[in-house]
Amino acid sequence: MPTETVYIAAVDATNHAAVQKLIKYKNRPFGKPFSVGVADLKMAQVLAKMNQTALNLYKNFYPGPVTIVCSGKHKVATGIESELGTLGIFVTDHKLTIDVIKALGKPITTTSANASYQKRPFKIKDLLDFLSIKQKGLIDLIVDAGEIPYREASTVIDTTIDDPAVLRQGEIRLKDKNEVLSRSEESTQNIGKELWQKFEKYFGQRALVFALEGPMGVGKTVFTKGLARAMGIKDEIVSPTYNLEEEYDNGKLHHFDAWRIENNEELNNLEFSKKITDKTVIAIEWADRVADEIRKYSEEAIIIWIKIEYARGENERIVSWGTL
Amino acid sequence: MKILAIDTSTDETAAAVTQGIKVLSNIIWSQASLHAKWGGVYPSLAKRVHLERIDWVVSKALSSAKCEADNINAIAVGTGPGLAVAIEVGLAKAKKISLLLNKPFIAINHVEGHLLSVLAKPKTSRQQRPKDIVGFPAIGLVASGGTTQLVLIMRVGTYEILAHTIDDALGEALDKAARMLGLGYPGGPILEIMAKEGDPKTYNLPIPMLGKENRSRFSYSGIKTAMYKLVQNEQPLTKEKIHNLAASFQDKTFQHVERLIRKVLETYKVKEFFLTGGVSANIELRKRIRKICNEREIILSIPYSKKLCTDNAAMIGIAANFKFQRGEIVTSTNLDLVDRVPRARVDKKFPWEK
Repeated sequence: MPTETVYIAAVDATNHAAVQKLIKYKNRPFGKPFSVGVADLKMAQVLAKMNQTALNLYKNFYPGPVTIVCSGKHKVATGIESELGTLGIFVTDHKLTIDVIKALGKPITTTSANASYQKRPFKIKDLLDFLSIKQKGLIDLIVDAGEIPYREASTVIDTTIDDPAVLRQGEIRLKDKNEVLSRSEESTQNIGKELWQKFEKYFGQRALVFALEGPMGVGKTVFTKGLARAMGIKDEIVSPTYNLEEEYDNGKLHHFDAWRIENNEELNNLEFSKKITDKTVIAIEWADRVADEIRKYSEEAIIIWIKIEYARGENERIVSWGTL
Repeated sequence: MKILAIDTSTDETAAAVTQGIKVLSNIIWSQASLHAKWGGVYPSLAKRVHLERIDWVVSKALSSAKCEADNINAIAVGTGPGLAVAIEVGLAKAKKISLLLNKPFIAINHVEGHLLSVLAKPKTSRQQRPKDIVGFPAIGLVASGGTTQLVLIMRVGTYEILAHTIDDALGEALDKAARMLGLGYPGGPILEIMAKEGDPKTYNLPIPMLGKENRSRFSYSGIKTAMYKLVQNEQPLTKEKIHNLAASFQDKTFQHVERLIRKVLETYKVKEFFLTGGVSANIELRKRIRKICNEREIILSIPYSKKLCTDNAAMIGIAANFKFQRGEIVTSTNLDLVDRVPRARVDKKFPWEK
């Protein structure tokens, strides 16, 4: 059914069988949580312990789109909360969504209706084109509201830690820049996917350059794995350091490594400008080394500068980006 | 049967003349020698640099083999995997020579070249390798800067990839560790020297994919991250610390290789193990794999010279010799179909061979 951001796969979040069906439908690894939609703050507080930060966010950002991650009270079915027991509350004022929740009297899942790493659906056709017969068979009802306007996914904010951290960046920002926290390799891959989904609409019209910066081992190739998977590339993405460049799906994606590239001329020896003219997708690691050369194409290409930094925790990374 | 072989897969511009499995000449214009000469920053070698060198390397290969171009029976070239614009230079040159001399053309997978490099013999060798010594099926490890894979060799020409890397290649990981320690790049060989002086137990780096050997994947990104953080913590680096860090890193990355090798040897009963690629020149790695092979009474084969370990063209000539015998050549009318295959897999035929 439609919401203000995307078509969602809604099930009763307190019904174990329904949630199991959803996990099967989304084709997700076990342990990846689902956010839930609630009718109002009262319902949210029944499901989760909302601390002051969470309450402030709820008030400030109502009506969203924002998802507030709180400490769950285990009132929902297994698989909805994260392994750490946190629960994502999707704040919405979308009339249909609210009406359904009110009528049901229970929270519903608000995960997007596409299977993992597939296109975000803004119309039913987006969805059906990518579903297997088996997946289609799991759907009981489709609410078709035609094409809904493109909108970014909700901003996901974790309030269970001292400093609230953005886990997914949508329209709403906590800081004056785009910045999210990754807690694992998997979530860094997921950020690659989300950035692809933000810029996918330009694919084929202009070259897309994902210019990656960050120290050794921080996860630049990991990010690219998620990007490639979201693009529908099945091949294993490996480090391009040695070959300087790897090409996937007949030139749909070019994965460069500028680590050994010492000057701009060398980048051009790799036919960089041709790849821009051909409107391909380019992921380039150590982009800061050839930043001047990349900036030359700022008219023809959309250049997304992505910075990955080590953060406090062992597996934590801060991923920030901008197009300037 | 003399073959002129060319390989320009990545950094090295290489040409060789082989006869059967004998190496008559093996010329490599390598990154390492220029690096030493310039003593500083070395520019990566793309198309232009290969173009500048290819003619010299080919004529040097012919003259060192005391061989006229007319006496060559076939031309072979590595067409992938590798860097597209680099492969292109060797490929264009090989096509040109093949047409000019009207000699058969043989396209070789670069990884197959590495695998068969252990079969090569020096030109002075009297003995052709008797067939019964090569015990097939064999398992080959190709460990270089560009790839790390374990391959089941049913016989020459029939391969199955048993394990491959999901991020960095082993040689690349070693090079990067060397760079973190300020030893320059590529620094795998320097890291090896430093590691000899150090104690691998000083630092507790993680063994990659520990307990996940069943997945049959090499992965070096995790240990690379751990090493980066460790090196940051250990600043300023003393000589002793560098030795110990090098030893610890090498030890854990090699343990990962050993564990995967033991795993595949449990499943596949083979007679021989081929250790190939640039990292096969590492004495410590040889020692460890030799131990594994000795325990299982498996013959360990290593290329007879270091020049056959790193990227080279002689191995392309050796592989081409077998392909020629099988009649898998490209005729001049089909030459246009042959193209660079940057992501070629050793277990798949080239597109024009189907």
